Amino acid sequence: MPPGALTHEQDVREAYAAHATELYGFAMRSLADSGLAEEAVQETFLRAWRAGDRFDPQIGSLRTWLFAILRNVVIDLGRARSARPRVAEGGIEPSVEPLDEALLAWQVEEALRRISDEHRRVLVETFYRGRPYAEVARELGVPEGTVKSRVYYGLRALRVALEEIGYEI
Amino acid sequence: MRSEACYEWRESLGAYALGQLPREERAGLEAHLDGCPDCRAELELLAPVARLLPKADPERLGAAPAPPAALSDRVIAAIAADRRATRRRKLRLGLAFSGATAAIAAAVLAIFVLPVGDSGPPATRVSFESLPPKMKVGAKLEPREFGTEIHIYVKGAPAGALCRVFVVAEDGSRLSAGSFRYRWSDDYPTLTTALKLSRTEAIGLRVGNRTFLAPVRASST
Repeated sequence: MPPGALTHEQDVREAYAAHATELYGFAMRSLADSGLAEEAVQETFLRAWRAGDRFDPQIGSLRTWLFAILRNVVIDLGRARSARPRVAEGGIEPSVEPLDEALLAWQVEEALRRISDEHRRVLVETFYRGRPYAEVARELGVPEGTVKSRVYYGLRALRVALEEIGYEI
Repeated sequence: MRSEACYEWRESLGAYALGQLPREERAGLEAHLDGCPDCRAELELLAPVARLLPKADPERLGAAPAPPAALSDRVIAAIAADRRATRRRKLRLGLAFSGATAAIAAAVLAIFVLPVGDSGPPATRVSFESLPPKMKVGAKLEPREFGTEIHIYVKGAPAGALCRVFVVAEDGSRLSAGSFRYRWSDDYPTLTTALKLSRTEAIGLRVGNRTFLAPVRASST
C-alpha cells in the first residue's frame, strides 16, 4: 500500500481538514445549492475512502485526486437533478456552465482569492473593470508606476497560487 | 541577457501580457524583448496566466462559502458505516464459501474470519417492549469516536411509514439520530448521533404519531 494512501479514518479527517472548504466552494459554484453541495462533498470523501488504497501520492496530489472525484460526483448529481422536477433554491437558477469551464473558472477565482489584496485590487480594477492606470493610481494614492508594478507582481503571484492549487500551467 | 534595461522593462511585462501597455511603450518593450531571452522567458511565464484571467468571474471573488461544521462528522460517520458494511459483506462471503465446501473448511474459516467481526468496540443490543402486536423493533448501538452508530431493525410497521429515531441522554435531553422510511422488514438502516453511547439512557422510535422507548444499558452485549 503506498504511503499517504487514504486507508484510515485519520487520513480522511486530515484530508477533510485540508481540502473540504475548497471542495465545498467548487461544489457550491457548480451546483448552486447548499444541500447538494454538502451531498457532493460527502460522496467525494466516501468514494475517495473506498478507492483509498489506489491513491498514489507519487502520481499526483491528494487535492487533485479529490477534485477529479468531485468532478464526477457533480456530474452524477447534476444528472440526478435534471431527471427530477427542479425546485430552484431561493429562486436562483442553478448554473448551466459546462463543468470543466466551471472548474477552470473556480480555480482562477480561488487563485485570485489567495493573492494579496493589493495585487488583486489592481487586477480587478484595470483588467476586469477596464479602468486606466492613472485613474486607479489616483484612487489608491500611489504613482502610476506602482500600479504597473503591482499588475506585474500580481500576475506572478497568481501563477504561484494557481500552481499551489494544482493547476498545471 | 540581464542588464539594467531589464529592470526598467520587467515591470511593464504584466501590463503588456494583459494588452494594457500604451502603444508608445509597447514598441520599445518589443524591441527589448527581441534582444533579451530573459525577458522573453519571463513573458512566457506571465502570458498563460493573463490568458486565464477572463475565465474568472470578478463578482465571485468574495469569501468562499464554508461547509457547515456538522458536515465533517457526517463524512466520518458515512465512512465508518461503509467500513463496517464492507466487513459484514466479507464475513458473509467467507461463511457462504465455507458452507459450499467441506465442513472442515468451514471450521477453519470460522476461526480466521469470525474474530474480525468481533474485534470492534463492544456493541449494545436493545429490544423494544410494549409494541403493538405484529411489530418488532430492535437496535444495535455501537460506540464511535463521533458519538454512536445505530443499526435499527423494524418489522411490521406500515409500509412507507416515516420513522424518526432519537436518543435520550442521562440528563433527560433528547438528540435526534435521524429518520428513515420503513419499507420492509429486512431493511436495517444505519443511523448516527453525536451522543456518546456511554451517556445514552434510552433510544426512542417515533412511527407516525406513536413513540416507543427502550432503555439502553451500555456495555451489555
